[in-house]
Formats: sequence, structure tokens, C-alpha cells
Amino acid sequence: MKALLYFVVIVGVVPIQSVLLPHISLWDVKPDLGFVAVCLVGLIAGELDGLLVGLALGWAMSLFSAQDLMSGAIMKGAVGFVAGLAGRQVVYLSPVVFVAGLLVVSCSAGLITPFVLKLSVQQDWWWAVWTIVLPQACLDAVLGGAIYWLMWNRLNIEQLMSESRM
Amino acid sequence: MRMVNLRAPYSARRVVLVLAVILALGFLLLPGQLQSGFQYIGNPLGWIISWPLQVVAGIHDRIADVWGRYVALQGVEEENQQLKRELDLLKEQNGQLREASVATERFSALLEFKKQALPTSVAAQVIGRDTGNWYKTIILNKGASDGLQSDQGVITPAGVVGRVVKTTASTAVVLLVTDPNNAIAGLIQRTRDEGIVEGTTQGQARLKYIPLLSNARPGDHVVTSGLVGGFPRGIPIGTIIRIDKEEEALFQSAELSPEIDPNRVEEVLVIQSPSIPNEGERLGVPKLKP
Repeated sequence: MKALLYFVVIVGVVPIQSVLLPHISLWDVKPDLGFVAVCLVGLIAGELDGLLVGLALGWAMSLFSAQDLMSGAIMKGAVGFVAGLAGRQVVYLSPVVFVAGLLVVSCSAGLITPFVLKLSVQQDWWWAVWTIVLPQACLDAVLGGAIYWLMWNRLNIEQLMSESRM
Repeated sequence: MRMVNLRAPYSARRVVLVLAVILALGFLLLPGQLQSGFQYIGNPLGWIISWPLQVVAGIHDRIADVWGRYVALQGVEEENQQLKRELDLLKEQNGQLREASVATERFSALLEFKKQALPTSVAAQVIGRDTGNWYKTIILNKGASDGLQSDQGVITPAGVVGRVVKTTASTAVVLLVTDPNNAIAGLIQRTRDEGIVEGTTQGQARLKYIPLLSNARPGDHVVTSGLVGGFPRGIPIGTIIRIDKEEEALFQSAELSPEIDPNRVEEVLVIQSPSIPNEGERLGVPKLKP
């Protein structure tokens, strides 16, 4: 059942990310729904699930991007793993704390990405920080916060976390 | 916020986790050439994802169509009148171009230039955009099963769109001409000076390596040179809007306004077999007759 849910997430995130999210982009930057999904999976289901779903989702998203496959998979996998480790340390997670966490992790991942990708010399580190990393981190935090707030209101997150990590 | 450290006991789950981390780190050490293998393995997954992708894109297009037909009709009358005026102007220009075309054909035949063969092309629809923010790409609804491959040129009747960088069985990713990581061989139509067209971070394009003695000026049109990069010669790329000449630089460069608006591209042609002239043909050396 869990595997089917993860498969649906992987297959569903890519079309939404590439077709619908460009319409809510700000300054040509759109939120990364895959990043938010991997964070949620890692946080709720643990570091192994976060890592594996992150690897698979990163790979699937890279198939529909100019980004090379391995860097996409590794970055998302690492994010899922870190989210799982963070979730293991935290028992009660409010939407505000989740938003702050997303902001920090998205910024950290974004700051590493220019070094991982072989970008043009025009796309230097400062350019990346101001035009992609910070706007995307804000958008990720808003989108993730909204999704988590909905889940928080409708589901018992703590119970879900303890059941998923069994 | 309460914090607690849950120490999980040694278990098979932990072993799997360690193996997965080692595997992930191992991927980092793989050389780039092996990544094509992962691309190949990803084809079935790409094929599965392409179905919901096309369904979502279809729903999106339907909504956009309804919006365009019934909601966003303000100013249509005025636009219609303007288009009619433009049509009259274009008809007149078309007549002049026909004359010019006939004359060109006549001169070409006289000079025994080899007529450039029309390349084989595949029509495709744009169904999505890049899943990340680092590259400017579009996703097409045709892929490897339709004969699309990496490095094939993508155009519209207006001009160059970009080139294919990745394919799955039923989709292809096209890196746009406005992406800084793209490079296309270009030619200033009036002065015949060649250079390399790269995208810029501002969403425009730049023609680099123009000779210092070139008298290129704003308003000049830049087309593909047909030398490398999957495009035949003469496809419009953009119009020069500014010339940049730095002191003691070996070359000058020019900022271009691309002919296509990447955000509005809906249908494209993928060039499968551009006729790339060899060095002799390019320099106009006549072929030896047997």
C-alpha cells in the first residue's frame, strides 16, 4: 500500500510540476513540489523512505529536465534522508516550524546545486542565490506550509509518524 | 517544541538504509558516460509518467482554450482591425519577396550552387516546462520512438526554439535558445560574420566572437550558420539590439532579441536531418566533374 502511494506521488508530481506550477511562478521561479513531497515523506515515514522516494522522484523529475539524472536523484535523496533524520528528533512539529525547516533546507540544497550542476559562467553563485535559491526557498516554504497545514488540520500527524516509522 | 531522541534498534531496516546510502554515494562517483545507461533504464518510467503528463497538459490546454475563446475576448474587434491592416502589408511584402525569391533561384542556378535540401522534420506539441528552475526547457509530446534524438534542432516558422537535450520513449526535453547553457552557430545575415549564439540570464541571447572589423549594427538579423548544431543554414535566431565592444578585446559581441517568445511556443518542428554543408560547399569550391 505504501509502495503504491509512493508510486502515485512520483507519477503525479512530475505532470503537476511541469504543466501547472509554471503558472504560479514568480520572476520565472516556481516552487519545487518534488522537494516538498520528499520532505513530507522523510519527515513522516523516516529516513529510509525519504531517501528512496527522494532518489526515485529526483530521477523521474530529471527525465523531464535538462538537469543530469544523478545530481537530481542524489539531491532529492539527500533531502529526504535529512528530513527523515530531522523527523526522528522531533515529536511535535507545528506548521510554522515546518515552514522554517523547509526554508532552511531549501536554501541549503539550493546553495549546493550550482556546484553540482555544470552551469554556464554567466550563472555565478551570487546570481543563483538572488534569482533562484532565495525565491524558490520562499515559494517552497509557502507551498509546503500550505500542504502541511491542510494535513495538520485533517490528519493526526504524530500518530501517522509513529505508525509509519514502525 | 519537545525534542526526543528515538534510538531505533539494529534491524534489517537499518542495514537497508546503510546500503541505500552507500549506493547513493556510489552514484556520485560514476563517470558521466554511464549516466546514459540510467537515461535508458528510465525510459519505461518516463513512458509511464508521460501519460498523466499528457492528460494534465490536455486538461490545461482545454481550460486555456475555453478561457481564450469565451473569457478573454476584450479588445478582439480592435485586434482584428489591426491584424487586417498587417495582413494587407504582409501581402504586399509577400509579393515583393516572391519576386526576390524567383530572382535568387535564377542566380543560384546560374552560379551552380547546390540547392540546400529541405530537412526532414517532425511536428510536436509543447506539453510542459522544465521540472526545475536551473534550466529553461520545454517538454515535447514526441520522443525517441518518433525518431527524436539529442542535439536535434527545434524550430517554429518564426525561428529557432532550441535543441533536444534528452529524450524518453514518448517525450523530449528541449533546451531553449535563451538558456545560458545553450550554444548555436550563428551568422549575421547582412555582414556574413559568424559567431556563437548563447542565451543570457536575462532571457535574451548574445552573439559572441564577432570579428572586430565587422560593421554589424542594431537591427541586423542573425540566422543559423548551418555549420554545427543540428540546424540548416538560414533559420532566424534573433535581431541585434545592442553591440558591445570592449577595449583591448579580441572580439565584439551583440545582444539579440530572440525571434521566438519561449513562453508562448505551442507547436514546434524538430529537424531530424539537417543538410550540413561540407567545407568545400561552404567555401564555394566547385565539385570536380568525372
